Amino acid sequence: MSAIHRCSRAVALALLFTALPFTQAFAHCFVGARFLPATLATDDPCVADEMSLPTISWSRTADMPPATEWDVGADISKRITQDFGVSLSETWVHIRGPGGPTMAGFDNLQTAAQYQLLKDGSHELAMLLGLVVDWGSTGAINSGIATPYSVLTPTYYFGKGFGDLPDEAGWLRAFAVTGEVGYQVPSRSFDVVQQTLIPQVLAWSGSIQYSMPYLKSEIMDLQLPDFINHLIPIVEFQMSTPVANNFGNSFVTTGTVNPGVIWVGSYFQVGLEAQVPVNAQSGHGVGVIGQLHLYLDDIFPKTIGQPLIGPSTPPQQLKF
Amino acid sequence: MRKFFLVVSLCLIPLAPVAARAHAFLDHASPLVGSTVPAAPHDVVLTFTQNLEPAFSTAQVTDSSGARVDQGKAQVSGNTMTVGLKSIGPGSYKVHWHALSVDTHSTEGTFTFHVGGH
Repeated sequence: MSAIHRCSRAVALALLFTALPFTQAFAHCFVGARFLPATLATDDPCVADEMSLPTISWSRTADMPPATEWDVGADISKRITQDFGVSLSETWVHIRGPGGPTMAGFDNLQTAAQYQLLKDGSHELAMLLGLVVDWGSTGAINSGIATPYSVLTPTYYFGKGFGDLPDEAGWLRAFAVTGEVGYQVPSRSFDVVQQTLIPQVLAWSGSIQYSMPYLKSEIMDLQLPDFINHLIPIVEFQMSTPVANNFGNSFVTTGTVNPGVIWVGSYFQVGLEAQVPVNAQSGHGVGVIGQLHLYLDDIFPKTIGQPLIGPSTPPQQLKF
Repeated sequence: MRKFFLVVSLCLIPLAPVAARAHAFLDHASPLVGSTVPAAPHDVVLTFTQNLEPAFSTAQVTDSSGARVDQGKAQVSGNTMTVGLKSIGPGSYKVHWHALSVDTHSTEGTFTFHVGGH
């Protein structure tokens, strides 16, 4: 099927969505007065209609001598109902060793199905459950980028803003944390090509963030420049710890700590972070990751920014 | 897979002009969020980043004991919400607002301002 035909079908489908009923939309990650931005290295704790296009990172691998790796990724998330959503992710990887061969190609397709367990506005608390699947043999296996086996990762996500602290906490109330914990289960236990065990891995990551928009609208309007009022300074971390089926191999935790900043607009956000390896097994030197992230529910509020299946009731009259 | 993302991207571009509205963030308020004003204001004015649905957007103001000190239904015009105040004295006051932007995105918030020497 040609791209034009696919596009036509997608546009027709989108037009059908315009007939969807009038509903209140929260969409990307609002929990009470708190907005949790889409983070670069981890996932935010909300189902949403959003797209990251692109996410680009540069780093040097843990090999000796280290190779240079470029990753260019895209992902799109779509709500099926208000509380259930799915997402698709794909990453193109380019690895060049010093004087050695270049490996390039697509990594395996990744999908996720997520269910919103909780959104407690008064405590700025959100929880999400998900099943992430890396589909084996959907990427560049021959280039050594993708694997022939799949990986299933049941994952728990959470986010918590500190706006419910007493007023005396002042500017500290603008802090928030997010996190996710997943257990990676490969569909095979042994890699016959590499002749190695394929470990089960605990993937744990999170962020601590300080919301200048929250500071301005909830705590203290310092009348700072508008650009500053859209910033969310953030430190993310993402770690992997082999925990099973790893006989004879290292159980050392690898990962990066990513200090950076996210600029939040009405329709999109832009994030930029450094990637600092936590040890020699995690990489060499400081890498960089950047992302343009689009809020589809704000850009297309009456079409693809709505859940496919939603409540048909109009907004409730407020009781103030 | 490359084609998939290319097609998705191409399909989104022509839809961009369909609607360009978003969540209504509080842009600024009078009195300023967290500020101390020397004299009691007659009203609180909230200015948002998007136009609001008047029927579903409102605000209330309470004193430190939780008693309401506003004069009732907020007036909404475009992206501005105004709520009148009763005669109030020195003290701390909380403004609770809920906004529904014209494309049905809902936001809410609370902030404090002070009157007098608090």
